[in-house]
Amino acid sequence: MEFITAETVSVLIFFIGLYGLMTQKNIIKTIMSLSIMESGVYLFFITTNLSENSTPPIGEGDPALFADPVPQALMITAIVIGIGVTAIGLTMFVHYKQKYGITNWTRKVADPSRTSDDERSAP
Amino acid sequence: MMTSSKAISLLRLLVVLIGASLMLGIYSTSFESFGTQLKEFFTTDFLAETGASNSVAAIYLNYRVYDTLFEALMLMVSVIEVINVSWYKERRAYSFVTPRIQLHQYSEIIIQMVSFVYPYVLLIGLYVMVNGHVSPGGGFQGGAILATALISRYLVNPNFDLKIDGFERTEKILFVFILLTPISYLFLQWPPVTAVLSDGAYMILMNTLIGLKVFSGLSIIFYRFVYYEAQE
Repeated sequence: MEFITAETVSVLIFFIGLYGLMTQKNIIKTIMSLSIMESGVYLFFITTNLSENSTPPIGEGDPALFADPVPQALMITAIVIGIGVTAIGLTMFVHYKQKYGITNWTRKVADPSRTSDDERSAP
Repeated sequence: MMTSSKAISLLRLLVVLIGASLMLGIYSTSFESFGTQLKEFFTTDFLAETGASNSVAAIYLNYRVYDTLFEALMLMVSVIEVINVSWYKERRAYSFVTPRIQLHQYSEIIIQMVSFVYPYVLLIGLYVMVNGHVSPGGGFQGGAILATALISRYLVNPNFDLKIDGFERTEKILFVFILLTPISYLFLQWPPVTAVLSDGAYMILMNTLIGLKVFSGLSIIFYRFVYYEAQE
């Protein structure tokens, strides 16, 4: 079995994005990780049901040879929604930054007894 | 202290690795093909049923038109959010002041080349939009290309002389028309579905409406971020 196929690459991209989502403290990098996860999902769906020698589903060709148009139509929708999600996240980030002056996922240091381990160990 | 944070980061890495290997393992051993029922349904007779040579356009404009409607709604909601959640409104009224960040002049080569390419980008965008039902393309792609033209206009002429209010109003009006067109043509069958000609007219109208709506939505997002959110 061939290992480097689009499905495995898309799964790896998705989990790279998940790792970035869990580890990055900068909010912009978190939004970027979300976009990376989304691109993994696009790649996975585009290549489902893909067969060799398939032709684009346009015109009067042989319907047996056509590539599956359903995931393509779904992914058009998903890409536009991805743009919307990224724009919403960035707007909320700018608002947050202007309000609190923080660009990280740190907790507010209003109550010193509630500081987490990460903040105390940070330089 | 250090050990607990190190353990947490190790745990994160472990979760990702285990998740990826589980996913790959399950996928490669026990993945069953979805079958081709949907594909056969959508690709056998789409030209006669919908009048579109492009079966992707046939799906998102005729078979599964709800997708398109709610996607257009979703884009509009996100544009409304970009405008209304912005911190800018809290401080001042909606009026533009020159940003403190100096907009630098781009190099002459970029300006000349972009102003040469600009009309062709508009032309390609309109072509992709209007021809979306017979060739690769469609409303969303054409709208994105048109928005690219506006972004390259920003490279040539970085001044704020566009009316974002106008774009906003245009987008909402276009969304009403995007709702009305499939409801009247597909659901209520008015005008009566008789020929491939009326199907083609419906496809072109819908693609143009969607393209213009996506164009105005993406332009609003870009210009809001460039001019309003960038201010101190």
